[in-house]
Amino acid sequence: MQKGLLITCPEYDDGTSYLTYFSKAIVEEAINKSLKIKKIKDENLNMKDFSEIMEKLDYKLVVFNGHGLPDSIYGHKGNIIVKVGENDKQLKERIVYARACNAGLLLGSECMKETKSGSFIGYVLPFVFFMDEKWTTNPHNDKVAWLFLEPSNLVPISIIKGHTSLEAHKNAKRQMLKNMESLLKNKQEQETPFYLEALWNNYDGQIIFGDNSAKL
Amino acid sequence: MKEKSEISEEIKKLVIARIDARMPSNLKMSIGASGSLSKEEMIEHVRKGDEEGVQIVNMHLNFIKAVTSGDLIREINTL
Repeated sequence: MQKGLLITCPEYDDGTSYLTYFSKAIVEEAINKSLKIKKIKDENLNMKDFSEIMEKLDYKLVVFNGHGLPDSIYGHKGNIIVKVGENDKQLKERIVYARACNAGLLLGSECMKETKSGSFIGYVLPFVFFMDEKWTTNPHNDKVAWLFLEPSNLVPISIIKGHTSLEAHKNAKRQMLKNMESLLKNKQEQETPFYLEALWNNYDGQIIFGDNSAKL
Repeated sequence: MKEKSEISEEIKKLVIARIDARMPSNLKMSIGASGSLSKEEMIEHVRKGDEEGVQIVNMHLNFIKAVTSGDLIREINTL
């Protein structure tokens, strides 16, 4: 399998636009490490195109941004791009990070059944983040969103830097703890408890399946 | 998958009151498949007890459990 990054970049609502925007840091790290990169956007985010791209490109790292269900992940709008029993086996020997709600509940374990060197990092709870409406047209300045999306970026960024899947999983969780610690130590704003709840939710819900030692 | 809530009306009221009193209107929450939710939309989902509403309530309850059980501090102390 090639050292490459395949990443889905939906942008059809605020949530998916933010996930895609904050993925720039992942892509930049992949460029720094001279990885091959394939971004899948908009109309190509459907199961047929996605499966064909997966068939053609044996890139080891696959990052999903999007809404999710226990057995599947969405691409563009209502298009499911990967689903248990349909095309999940295409993920079996890859390193997968699913920044999507609940896909760790079924898809994660199913796609990694009998894997030799694949891993799946995702969430068994909804992946939650807050954003500040003032910055939805300029997410880079949204300090609220950074609290949640920077730790999650650490999963693929750690993998790209050469860490194992387990180390990447732990690095992201550790950053979530650091953010919670910082929120607790600094001046409490009226909204701080909401941020803590969401960070704890993502921390508690992040899981790993497959080969913990999988790396690029 | 729009399941109805098993969550009591009392808990719903508490969560709604908390969102209403503490959440600034400029914040939006991304959760589930319905895009991002404003403060008013969060309250409405909790009131209806639909899938998003249940997720919001569960997130709140899980956090309280993590605080009261000591899990949150225990995990932070591993840093």
